[in-house]
Amino acid sequence: MKIFSALIMFACLVVSVSCNREAPAADDEKTVALVLKTLNHPFFVDMRRGAQEAADRLGVTLQVQAAEREIDVDKQMQIVENLLQTGIDVLAITPSGSREIVAALVKATNANVPIVIVDTRLDAKAAADAGVQARTFIGSDNYEGGRLAGDHVVRITDGKARVGILEGIPGHETGDSRLRGFRDAVAKAPGIAVVASQPANWERDQGFNVFQNMLQAHADIDTVFAASDLMALGAIEAIAAAGRTGRIRVVGFDALDDAKKAIEAGTMDASVAQFPYEMGKAAVESAVKIMAGETLPPDIMVKLEMVTKPR
Amino acid sequence: MKARRFGTLIGLLFLCAVLWALTPHFLTISNLLNIVQQTSINAIVAAGMTFVIISGGIDLSVGSIVALSGVVLGTLLQSGQPVAVAIPAAAAVGIGCGLLNGALVSCGRLPPFIATLGMMSVARGAALVFTEGRPVSGFGEGFRWLATGKVGFVPAPVIVMLLVYAVAHIVLTRTTFGRYVYAIGGNEEATRLSGVAVRFHKTAIYGVSGLMSAVAAIVLTARLNSAQPIAGMMYELDAIAATVIGGTSLMGGEGSLGGTLVGALIMGVLRNGLNLLGVSSFLQQIVIGAVIVGAVLVDTLLKRHRA
Repeated sequence: MKIFSALIMFACLVVSVSCNREAPAADDEKTVALVLKTLNHPFFVDMRRGAQEAADRLGVTLQVQAAEREIDVDKQMQIVENLLQTGIDVLAITPSGSREIVAALVKATNANVPIVIVDTRLDAKAAADAGVQARTFIGSDNYEGGRLAGDHVVRITDGKARVGILEGIPGHETGDSRLRGFRDAVAKAPGIAVVASQPANWERDQGFNVFQNMLQAHADIDTVFAASDLMALGAIEAIAAAGRTGRIRVVGFDALDDAKKAIEAGTMDASVAQFPYEMGKAAVESAVKIMAGETLPPDIMVKLEMVTKPR
Repeated sequence: MKARRFGTLIGLLFLCAVLWALTPHFLTISNLLNIVQQTSINAIVAAGMTFVIISGGIDLSVGSIVALSGVVLGTLLQSGQPVAVAIPAAAAVGIGCGLLNGALVSCGRLPPFIATLGMMSVARGAALVFTEGRPVSGFGEGFRWLATGKVGFVPAPVIVMLLVYAVAHIVLTRTTFGRYVYAIGGNEEATRLSGVAVRFHKTAIYGVSGLMSAVAAIVLTARLNSAQPIAGMMYELDAIAATVIGGTSLMGGEGSLGGTLVGALIMGVLRNGLNLLGVSSFLQQIVIGAVIVGAVLVDTLLKRHRA
């Protein structure tokens, strides 16, 4: 009975897969797997583009897979397990959970598949306890990025501000480091008070809601720092809804295209630019070096930049 | 009903045959073990969902109950409580939430959709409050055995899943309680008039679902080596899908656990196969959604044809 439906669906699938695939890889071509947190975020879409560029240039097959939702670390573990079955040569991954993903990486280690960690660091202790060792880490220093943002806030406010912070998902190394960097930087200016700090879970609509609520509770907020641009863009909408556009400074993180447009339009002040395209590229380049037997430095840092409107 | 279950099974085998033809990586012992292991959590949640749906209800709160029992379990383990305390406590949380759902439905006369929608939000919020939003981790090896251990060559989560299905199957087919589940779903009024304590049994049915969510939480927490308050989001939809693909009618009164297990396996095999084939994650969502709708559509059409 349901066999027919399965049959029809699978026929569609087979057709789409065969159309989707470019020239079939030669059997001796090496395969690099890049497992992302999600592909619903421009950051990771850019990372994939960079990785694909490097893979095409270096003649390796690139397999990109991602969970549907950024926080779904169990799905990400399943993807890793499934990819290991296909005999990949190197696994590059942006962990959805710094500790949780370690269990899947143990399987990669047992299968002798070298691991490259991108963007979000592993929990050092969990990895060491499980005997997982990544060949290298590629990413930006999120703490440094947070500090850049904090310094910027101190500069544009002359050291006097009432700041609201939009946090990412609690317990994520990426967000936590950005916040620590930011807080350390603004702590140096006694005139700056962080009046509220709430998680908006990296999402735009939550950024809107959370910041709207924050404004209700603290009408005196004049500066907002969001640990990611999506949340910052949500906050900008909330500011507009409150009719206070231009009176609250917004500093974000990631320098997404939408954020750059907002900076150009003057609704946003600044954003810390990361270079996900470069990260993706470096991930594949590192994988190729590993396959050639090279030893890599433990950290490969990708630059950071403060994007502001030219004054 | 036998024939329909058989049909779902043929669908699963057909799916496997196609994947076997498409990729050499599919039909290996280790991959098949991966699939059942990856399916186990959804399958366990779906077992409870099957009870609820056969009785004519729905339980949207399963994912949140997974999160809440998970963080209670994790917090107890982290504070040094033995497994023998932490696991029953997690089970009690699951059963408690489930019974509350059941009481709201049977005594409060709320539609199941509304009662469990409320619980979905309350339990999620409680999990976040309880942990202040942060994941809880750092458990002993003994507990982690539930995820990493093996009996022979069978992974521990699969053993748990099979035990759950064996017990649940006996309860559903060989006990009075099981017969009342079908009777309530088939015709609640008639069941009440024939002297069955419908309110009591309905409450218990949601308790079963809550317990299953707690069992799934135990396996998930061991697998992630961490209890996350944001775990289990959208589990309700996966569980409903597995149940419905498995031939259980959303109208209530008919269905089987064997069917649900096969339904969960179809979803697991599909996800695994799409990963192995390197299909983009966007396309995967389309295929999975289409299979769910397609399976139920064909089922409905055939039923109408037969009638």
